Amino acid sequence: MGNDIFEITVNSVKLIVVFLLMVQAVPILVWLERRGSAFIQNRFGPNRVGPLGLLQLLADAVKFITKEDFAPDRAIRKLFYAAPVFALIPATLAYAAIPMSLPFIVPAFEMFGSTWGPYKFLVQGYEIGVGIVFILGVSSLAAYTILMAGWGSGSKFSLLGALRASAQVISYELALGLSIVGVILLYGTFSLSEMIQAQQGPLQFVAFGHTVTSAVSWIPNWGIFYQPIGFVLFFAAAFAESNRLPFDLAEGEAELVAGFHTEYGGFKMLMFFIGEYGHMMIASGLATTFFFGGYGIPGITPAELQQVILGWGFSEAAAGGLNSLIHFLSYNVKFAIFLWIFIQVRWTLPRFRYDQLMDLGWKTMLPWALANTVVTAVAIYVVTL
Amino acid sequence: MTADAFLFWFLAITTLAGGITVVSIANPIYAALSLAFTMVSVAAVFVTLEAYFVAGVQLIVYAGAVMVLFVMVLMLFDLKHEIEAFARGKVSGAIKLLTAGVLGGLLIGAISYSPEGSKVAAGANQVAVAGDATKNLGYRLFTQHIFAFEALGVLLLIIAVGAVALSRSKGGTHGQR
Repeated sequence: MGNDIFEITVNSVKLIVVFLLMVQAVPILVWLERRGSAFIQNRFGPNRVGPLGLLQLLADAVKFITKEDFAPDRAIRKLFYAAPVFALIPATLAYAAIPMSLPFIVPAFEMFGSTWGPYKFLVQGYEIGVGIVFILGVSSLAAYTILMAGWGSGSKFSLLGALRASAQVISYELALGLSIVGVILLYGTFSLSEMIQAQQGPLQFVAFGHTVTSAVSWIPNWGIFYQPIGFVLFFAAAFAESNRLPFDLAEGEAELVAGFHTEYGGFKMLMFFIGEYGHMMIASGLATTFFFGGYGIPGITPAELQQVILGWGFSEAAAGGLNSLIHFLSYNVKFAIFLWIFIQVRWTLPRFRYDQLMDLGWKTMLPWALANTVVTAVAIYVVTL
Repeated sequence: MTADAFLFWFLAITTLAGGITVVSIANPIYAALSLAFTMVSVAAVFVTLEAYFVAGVQLIVYAGAVMVLFVMVLMLFDLKHEIEAFARGKVSGAIKLLTAGVLGGLLIGAISYSPEGSKVAAGANQVAVAGDATKNLGYRLFTQHIFAFEALGVLLLIIAVGAVALSRSKGGTHGQR
């Protein structure tokens, strides 16, 4: 956590801030989803409450909180009430491990008559050496919350929805995990920050002892140029993992009402919502980190940007902070683009049939992911011979 | 008590409590859920031993995939009959006690007859410190222990094929009855 009381305090506050960042993004995403779907379907969407309908979020929040809290007669109350709370845990833990910007460096300073620092604060909840393994492991626990909700509700619709959802999550977890193996081989690390560092600068790689650099200096050294198939597989599997259309068979309102959260309402429903959007955010953050250089800015490395900012007449510390802030914005732009793709796809594609879903997962994506892994491994071995 | 010792005892107690619940609770669903809880606790124990990769794999493979399948299959069964068969009966109770006793005896024997245990642990620690623990693990797995590794893979394949063959021989879901 830290060496002295100041560092421990900041790191603890940071954990809460990262959690709030995730939770606060949900109402905005809901608004974006409703306005975006209206835009796609040539409607208006919620535009009555406040400017652009933005205050609709507040109205929704009040509605969610003030609704009556109830459990169905046949429900198993312990599981029924525990499930929504558990739905938040995997998403929160995984999201906090994604780096969002350059470390924030605080130089030594005087406070309360003693010298503090210097400190280096990472712009993420916590850093874990085996970042990818941790995120995959934690988010794989999300299947339990679905099963707990489905079983605890004591309703046929809920149970069937839960069984569908967890079967789907397990099936696509395999393709998801294998699609990342290529990336891990490429960078030779599990750490997300090291991956982002490897993607800085112009496109450049070593082949047969020669260093190949792209002629155009602004083309970044991003993972997408090395792992295009890995990216497609990862992104498709991420849709299935977060139970979004075209993979939302767990809900399938035509046949299952609303799947595993049929019996939930009010705040409990909201927690499932946050969990689902949380998984979307994790997928967007990971896609950014693995394939699009994380917080990096194309055409300029963090060290070069630091020099540019110093040229504007800032002090060393202020320039570092500003640099960190600019990279944070860069991360958020990429992050938002992926979130928009999630929304766009949801309102564009129809739902799969269940056999199509399983065929796609096991017979198409799994072999392609395996092939991608093997080809990447052989290519890396041959090229670096 | 140091933070490490507190963490160890806390995790040890939660893991054992989860494990005892698995065998003592009558409802198979709760038994499976507490087994999942035990596996997550074991992953946490691995983290305190600084075996982060093993902890992550424990979460992904056991807690994330195997146990979810287990819980799913249990939910599809008619559990009322199972609960009765599970909880009652003197013979099955005696067998349960006997199994627990044998297992406990084995564990105690293994611990008391292994004075080398602490030395092995110290040696393992040094290997981890020498370099990237995950890289080391992978290297050893694919050089020193390649035979055991492949043999286990074949064993799992046989289990999968056997499960398919057994379910097909009874008609399965798609077969001709």
